[in-house]
Amino acid sequence: MKFIPTGSQTVGPFFSIGLDTLCQQPAMSPSPDAVLVQGTIFDGENAPIPDAVFEFWSDNEFVRAATNEDGNFFAVLKQPVNSLYFDVLIFMRGLMRPVLTRVYLGDERTFKEETSLQRVPPERRNTLCARAGETKNHFSWDVHMQGDRETVFFEF
Amino acid sequence: MTHSAEDRRVLLASQPPYLHPPYVSSKKRAPARPLVALPSALASFKGPVFGQDSLQPGDCDLTKQHSGEPLGERIIVIGKVTDDDGHPVRGALIEIWQANAAGRYKHKNDSHAAPLDPNFSGCGRVITDNEGRYSFVSIKPGAYPWRNHENAWRPAHIHFSLFGAGILSRLVTQMYFPNDPLLPFDPIYNSIPDESARQRLVSQFDWATTQPEHALGYRFDVILRGNRSTPMENTRP
Ligand SMILES: [Fe+2]
Repeated sequence: MKFIPTGSQTVGPFFSIGLDTLCQQPAMSPSPDAVLVQGTIFDGENAPIPDAVFEFWSDNEFVRAATNEDGNFFAVLKQPVNSLYFDVLIFMRGLMRPVLTRVYLGDERTFKEETSLQRVPPERRNTLCARAGETKNHFSWDVHMQGDRETVFFEF
Repeated sequence: MTHSAEDRRVLLASQPPYLHPPYVSSKKRAPARPLVALPSALASFKGPVFGQDSLQPGDCDLTKQHSGEPLGERIIVIGKVTDDDGHPVRGALIEIWQANAAGRYKHKNDSHAAPLDPNFSGCGRVITDNEGRYSFVSIKPGAYPWRNHENAWRPAHIHFSLFGAGILSRLVTQMYFPNDPLLPFDPIYNSIPDESARQRLVSQFDWATTQPEHALGYRFDVILRGNRSTPMENTRP
């Protein structure tokens, strides 16, 4: 590194003006090889966050999804080819730079051997795992910014 | 790539912390627990690739998106996007959004009692060329009030979102204008600890870009982290 990177600043409350073009349309229904991940993001007082935007990065896909007025997000994702998880950047008003987390689709026991989970305290690993829903390709994953159930965020 | 302790200190001071109490909404949203180190490199692919065909006509000229001209001071913003080794970042998608000249966003949640401009939406997109350069035409945004503290006003700014070589290069920031008297009072701008890093968020008036009888020029260069940079160790939450 020869030059210091430009500083990050919050997306603020009105990011949809600039970021909507790349947002996935929430009405999309998953094709057979895709999964729907949905959930709610909460602040430190357990209030849903209506102005957050998620970016799911995997080895074969980039998907952006913003939360709605109730703090819910919906993302239709293809299963990653070479990994078991999606890297997830979350931007919002109130965060000067995005947080980085990971989401695994399914029960944490399935991912016991995963190296990225080994450094995560065992009692917090479930915050990175999306629960299988009623239908086969449907997962739910809530994110908590703070509190007892605070999601694990990674250094990056 | 290894970083010296000094590199890490400078890198940390160039980026804002998550919790910055003067920015009140960070208090309930900043992670409270220590961040966890990732043992392996980020698995993400190189990142989305955007071609010129992903742009619409008019994306790079925010004054030409409606039948009439928007009100305000016309500006041309140019700049170069490089990585932290100084190499140009080619084909980088830049998404921009901003308030109109009166300081009002075209957004349903903006309740500032300033007029909307029917000829201004405030959304633009550009892709850097082979030298990492970009330019777009817009109008200078107005300052706007917010409720963060007593008599709080945001300095004029343009929001920038940039994609580089991958997830580590991803950056969202704000471009400010030179000599703005609101900068010293702004907790968002001042969340960046290092003064010289802060000042790099302020664009420079650019005489060479300024066009007679048409628009003032501003230059705003951006440096993205390389995708192989080491994580920011010991990051405070
Ligand atoms: Fe803004």
